[in-house]
Amino acid sequence: MASAAAPSPKANMGAPAPRYDARLKVTGEARYPADVAVANPAFAVLVTSSIAKGRIERLDLDQARAVPGVLDILTYENTGELKPAKFGQGSSTSIQDLGPDIFQDGQIIAVVLADTFEAATEAAQSVKATYAAQAPSATFGSQGLNSEDAAKVSQQHEHLPEAGDAETAIGGADVTIDGHYGTPTQHHNPIELFATTCEWTADRLTVYEPSQFVYGLRNGVAQRLGIAPEKVRVASHYVGGAFGSKGTMTPRTAMIALAAKRLNRPVKLVATRDQGFTIATYRAETRHHIRLGARRDGKLVGYAHEGWEISSRSDPYVVAGVEDSAQLYAFGAVKTKVNVVHADRNTPGYMRSPPVVPYIFALESAMDEMAEKLGMDPIEFRRVNDTMTSPIENKPYSSRSLMACYDRAAEAFGWKRRNRLPGSMRDGEWLVGYGCATAVYPTHIGPAAARVRLMPNGDVRVQIAAHEIGNGVYTVLGQMAAERLGVGLSSVKVEVGDTRLPPAPVAGGSNTTASSCSAVLKTCDAIRAKLFHASVTANDGPLAGRNVEELTLTDGKVAASDGTGENLADVFKRLGMSTIEEYSEFVPDGLEPDAVADLYAGKLTMTGGPHGKKVMYAMGAELVEVHVHSQTCEIRVPRIVGAFAAGRLMNTRTVHSQYMGGMIWGISSALHEATEIDTRYARYVNDNLADYMVPVNADVKDVQVILVPEVDHDVNPAGVKGLGELANVGTAAAVANAVYHATGKRIHQLPIRIEKLL
Amino acid sequence: MATVSTAAVPAFARAAAAQAGASQTVSNPRAPVDATLTINGRDHVLAFDVRTSLLDLLREHLGLTGSKKGCDHGQCGACTVLLDGRRILSCLTLAIAAQGRDITTIEGLAANGQLHPMQQAFIDNDGFQCGYCTPGQIMSAVACVHENHANTDDEIREYMSGNLCRCAAYPNIVAAVKQARPLMQTASRD
Repeated sequence: MASAAAPSPKANMGAPAPRYDARLKVTGEARYPADVAVANPAFAVLVTSSIAKGRIERLDLDQARAVPGVLDILTYENTGELKPAKFGQGSSTSIQDLGPDIFQDGQIIAVVLADTFEAATEAAQSVKATYAAQAPSATFGSQGLNSEDAAKVSQQHEHLPEAGDAETAIGGADVTIDGHYGTPTQHHNPIELFATTCEWTADRLTVYEPSQFVYGLRNGVAQRLGIAPEKVRVASHYVGGAFGSKGTMTPRTAMIALAAKRLNRPVKLVATRDQGFTIATYRAETRHHIRLGARRDGKLVGYAHEGWEISSRSDPYVVAGVEDSAQLYAFGAVKTKVNVVHADRNTPGYMRSPPVVPYIFALESAMDEMAEKLGMDPIEFRRVNDTMTSPIENKPYSSRSLMACYDRAAEAFGWKRRNRLPGSMRDGEWLVGYGCATAVYPTHIGPAAARVRLMPNGDVRVQIAAHEIGNGVYTVLGQMAAERLGVGLSSVKVEVGDTRLPPAPVAGGSNTTASSCSAVLKTCDAIRAKLFHASVTANDGPLAGRNVEELTLTDGKVAASDGTGENLADVFKRLGMSTIEEYSEFVPDGLEPDAVADLYAGKLTMTGGPHGKKVMYAMGAELVEVHVHSQTCEIRVPRIVGAFAAGRLMNTRTVHSQYMGGMIWGISSALHEATEIDTRYARYVNDNLADYMVPVNADVKDVQVILVPEVDHDVNPAGVKGLGELANVGTAAAVANAVYHATGKRIHQLPIRIEKLL
Repeated sequence: MATVSTAAVPAFARAAAAQAGASQTVSNPRAPVDATLTINGRDHVLAFDVRTSLLDLLREHLGLTGSKKGCDHGQCGACTVLLDGRRILSCLTLAIAAQGRDITTIEGLAANGQLHPMQQAFIDNDGFQCGYCTPGQIMSAVACVHENHANTDDEIREYMSGNLCRCAAYPNIVAAVKQARPLMQTASRD
């Protein structure tokens, strides 16, 4: 059925097929990891530290052990056999031990196991810890932080972008902007909790855990347990939201595996919502100093961006979004620096959309200020600085449709009604503001392997350990196979999210469709080649002697351009085969040939974005209308229009939903979301869904998505740029810029709440 | 954030009052209690820890895992089920308090393999991405229509605001409720 949710495909866009897993999801039959039944499970409940820094002096477990039904309690005293894991090697953090040293608030210090969830919960509440506590450093402004240059401590970020002499360029510019910006702590808060079920069969372990990277988790858990990765299976067939929070191994998994081994019984853990704030990752707070220089005609001449990002004491996690922000416009000279600021906190991690979200908020706010100072329309200012060549190393863009996006969005939005003067537009008691900002996301791609089977009746099975996190991967992989093998989508069975299948990269960085579809495409093409070869080399077949170049595979037939064809079943007969199954490995240009072998070992290398011969980015333009009440300063977003171009789109329905959800995430970032920290204790205060503000249905009004056609043959064989993380980049700046337009007040620190406008 | 009065409220207080006259006395609070629960039209004779929430009973005792745990605090709506046709949060409802009531879960919504109009509408309008909050959204949406709280877009938004969707499928959920509403009304007239 046609609906706004399923836009008609334009050029280079796939049909809005309903989701492959839709029926399972609306009937409750989709089994998320915590839903998988295991025989006679014990239930685990975590106990976490109530200090952020110090040492456990005493753990009193007597009362907990006395609770009927309690089976075992893991603490630092009986978990020494777990091997350490280091941040940066598939692990979210180096803080893995249950103590006695405490490095963060909410560190796991005990795992209580009981026959029932109720008994385990009661016992967990009875565990008494006594600490020798020290004063922790919580966040920016706290005593005792230590700051390091990211280029010196993070292997990923040794070479941050630089071009020309930015100091001289900005110093000599006609017009300059010099601003400080900040973004808050945020937690992903997928609605699915952090759950782990572990079950041993002899020396083999099965882990049911929602994961964005099952091979990474398999290898990480095996390493911590000191067993061969082949002994571990990770199954994660559906993930109930992730947004980056389930991409790396967190400490709980090995603990639950060990508990199951000690009890010789399956163990189920569903961590509580508040524990999720400290036992997994989050987006750390950031600070930015930006300087821009421009000529009077609007041409930028220099861009300097220094960032500061909070991390844990032990680990140098940074996103360093300057790598991408520095490519965005014809800046002229560029100078960047990123600092890791260590505090007594849990280690942060990827959150939709690393690395760009905080950095683009800062840059796109500064861009709006520069346009204002130049007296230019902000869209026209971006047009003047649009470029097909990155200012860094002058690399060409593989494709770039930014201004096409702005033009489409501006037309749909009615941008020309905008009066440039701040505070000039009103709707009754409401001040009205129009703001815009650029969305940009690097096109990532990784290695992947796939197995595809075709039957004579046209039934297809696709197997690849990609991850269904709401991205629609079941659907788009099915569409890719159906298209290449000339069958209907209903004939395709897709299996993902399991280390029994060939490996795919982490579902992160918007690489899934590009990487996995490229692997499925390559595998399907191997099947086509086999069929075509059989058809043309047969002595008696209707296609004998034809050139394989002129053959297609459609509607269950191998066919030539003149209409001559042969049924699949006949080709199979000719081959003497009842099935054709192919396995192939896809390694993108720029990666080592052993990249898939590394993937089997849980090690992922990705390329793309700024790293190739051409720079590769998906882009978009977001235009927002805000209403700010003239008396109460209440802020509303009655409408937002986003136009996006991201190469080939596999399915306009799943794409539309990703963009729409992304823009709502962006509005949320702008106006609602922040994890509040009690700086005395380095503790998260609003660690629940009532106090951590995420949007509800009533917050969201008119969200319009425009799909801008774009063709890019350079990015990868599938021509797909990836887009799951695109739409919430820039949104916060667009809202902030609209708030300025409505009120004349520049808010440089997110979120923008009423008190900042009063 | 909008100020939201979720229509899905714990019903255990009401149910507990109904139980007050029952003969069962609990001397050891940890001893299993016996109870018969009517779920999706079927009676289940059960023994469970009296502290068991209806959500945990459905999921861990009966394998009805369609109802999801997203917070266990009545904040997200993923565990929404119908109790005598009224939407409640099963994580805030003690299982024992649901005795003698008709419990409907997402597994009980489709009849003879035929999807409920609301389920079909969620598919047609892509009312979900990851799908985790979806069973709760659908149960809430069905009740929202039955409550006559689905007359305008704003009303749907308000009365569906007790169900969080982190993928933010909200506009599509509103469209789904609008699509299903007349079909449900037709069905109930028949």
